[in-house]
Amino acid sequence: MPSSQTPPAGATAVDPTAVRPDIADARIIRVGPADLRATLAGLKADGFTMLLDAGGADYPGRDPRFDVVYHLLNLKPGAATVAAVGRPERVRVLCGVPEAEPVVPSVADLWPAANWAEREIFDLFGIRFDGHPDLRRIQMPADWEGHPLRKDYPLRGPARERSPRPNFALKSNVGAGTPASGRTAAALQKQIAAARGQAVPKDDAS
Amino acid sequence: MVLSMGPQHPSTHGVLQAVTEIEGETVMKAEPEIGYLHTGIEKSAENLFWTQASTVIERMDYLSPLSNACCYVMGVEQLLGITDEIPLRARQSRVLLCELHRIASHCVWLGTGGIDLGAISGFFYAFDLREKILDLTELSGGARMHPNYLRIGGLRDDLPQGFIDRLDALIEMYPRRMREMRNLLQANPILQDRMVDVGILSADDALAWGITGPALRGSGVAYDVRRAFPYSGYENYEFDVITRSEGDAYARFLVRLDEMDESMRIVRQVRKELDTPGPVMIDDTKYAAPPKETIALSMEALIHHFKIVSEGFRVPPGDVYQAIEGPRGELGYYIVSNGDNRPWRVRTRPPSMYNLQVLKQIAVGELIADMVVMIGSLDPVFGEVDR
Repeated sequence: MPSSQTPPAGATAVDPTAVRPDIADARIIRVGPADLRATLAGLKADGFTMLLDAGGADYPGRDPRFDVVYHLLNLKPGAATVAAVGRPERVRVLCGVPEAEPVVPSVADLWPAANWAEREIFDLFGIRFDGHPDLRRIQMPADWEGHPLRKDYPLRGPARERSPRPNFALKSNVGAGTPASGRTAAALQKQIAAARGQAVPKDDAS
Repeated sequence: MVLSMGPQHPSTHGVLQAVTEIEGETVMKAEPEIGYLHTGIEKSAENLFWTQASTVIERMDYLSPLSNACCYVMGVEQLLGITDEIPLRARQSRVLLCELHRIASHCVWLGTGGIDLGAISGFFYAFDLREKILDLTELSGGARMHPNYLRIGGLRDDLPQGFIDRLDALIEMYPRRMREMRNLLQANPILQDRMVDVGILSADDALAWGITGPALRGSGVAYDVRRAFPYSGYENYEFDVITRSEGDAYARFLVRLDEMDESMRIVRQVRKELDTPGPVMIDDTKYAAPPKETIALSMEALIHHFKIVSEGFRVPPGDVYQAIEGPRGELGYYIVSNGDNRPWRVRTRPPSMYNLQVLKQIAVGELIADMVVMIGSLDPVFGEVDR
């Protein structure tokens, strides 16, 4: 049961990643899974030594449904001063992944940094990485079902049976005929008096 | 023998489990296991209004909450196309608070890092300094840890009365306190013995593993987002990017210590500019709620306030990657909007996660007792690693 707070899946008609050329935060390259490895290996050969980040995004209703988003940085290893670093180039590689076959080649052998990032995408989006050395869930428990960052995954988790609450209105567990506390004290006094051989105190009622 | 360090271990700085294969005392293989603190912050952010989302985003790196908020807010401002319209005083205050939080975060690292190695006294000095910064945070936003003080378009309020005086007191006490901490920790021969030549990371490896921040600069690469991609007016301030070439735990230790001094240098420069008053919120009623005083007098202001609070505002479709230099390295947000009043996707580039991952490599061949040194020198925050 989706929570009332979950926005309707498939609410996006446009592809938000292609409409803002005015934001100059990175050079954008869009590829398919078949060309992804060649593109990334080529970029690495061009000096993009650092894989800044790999993340996923889900656009239900779009074909392909998922994006795997890589950010690369052109940073020289010997750049020991601010001037040598300069303003490195940043590249964003967007790889569309179809829902029917959510498989992307892994780049964990090119950049070891990709290891955990790809595991996280696998965990949270269900996109598999072909050739990954250790593709397991990383954030969610190993036996978790479903991929939480997919848009059709409800915010408050999968539907569950409501756990039974004890019904405190039914006092069936309380023994019948238990005397009220004042009565108990009187009964105890009687017992003590009988044991000591004294006169048994009379009930207040009599 | 396989030894599991954590997830409940005081020296792993949070809920990290390091599954370690050891032979004698030498680490043969180390596999960090994370995810014990996964709270689904990215998913939560997708279900909140743009302004509300910064409240959960602040909770990622809980040792410097304002750097998270600052980065997210600036990313959204880029999507809105209002980056150039943010008032100067708001940008200056953001720089001031980010640098103060960098010092506070490094204080926690310094104090707990010392405790890991048995240096208890330094902890109290470092946390006392941090306490002063948390007091300032409380003054600015009302809360010590997560003030939610930054807004898309500026700040919630101007810095309050009395803030500047307390800031001056902090600036005055800082050099002495720093000297004391350096005497206690940096000059300590035991600490040096424990850290020198431990966990060596070459520049090439650091780049391949995506290491940023003090850990990368400790390996000799002078990459600092504040200089490479200046934001919020950092190009106007003088400071040095500290680098060391050794690449060991002690180099990372020294880089962070020197960085605190550089941060204080920026704080002193911003302090001078704060004498000039000015607006702190963008003059655009689309994003800024009307001042509280006008609500009692004007029906339009009341309706407007109600609309902003109950419905938020819409952000034009698009995607953006915004990065800042957090205390742990390049903190980035890849934000996607589909034109709605909620973010479509907020992907964090968590510097701690990439920095921590390298433990797999640098721990091999080291002593098991040095694991805590290496984890401490990478300075992970698990709210950010697991999100």
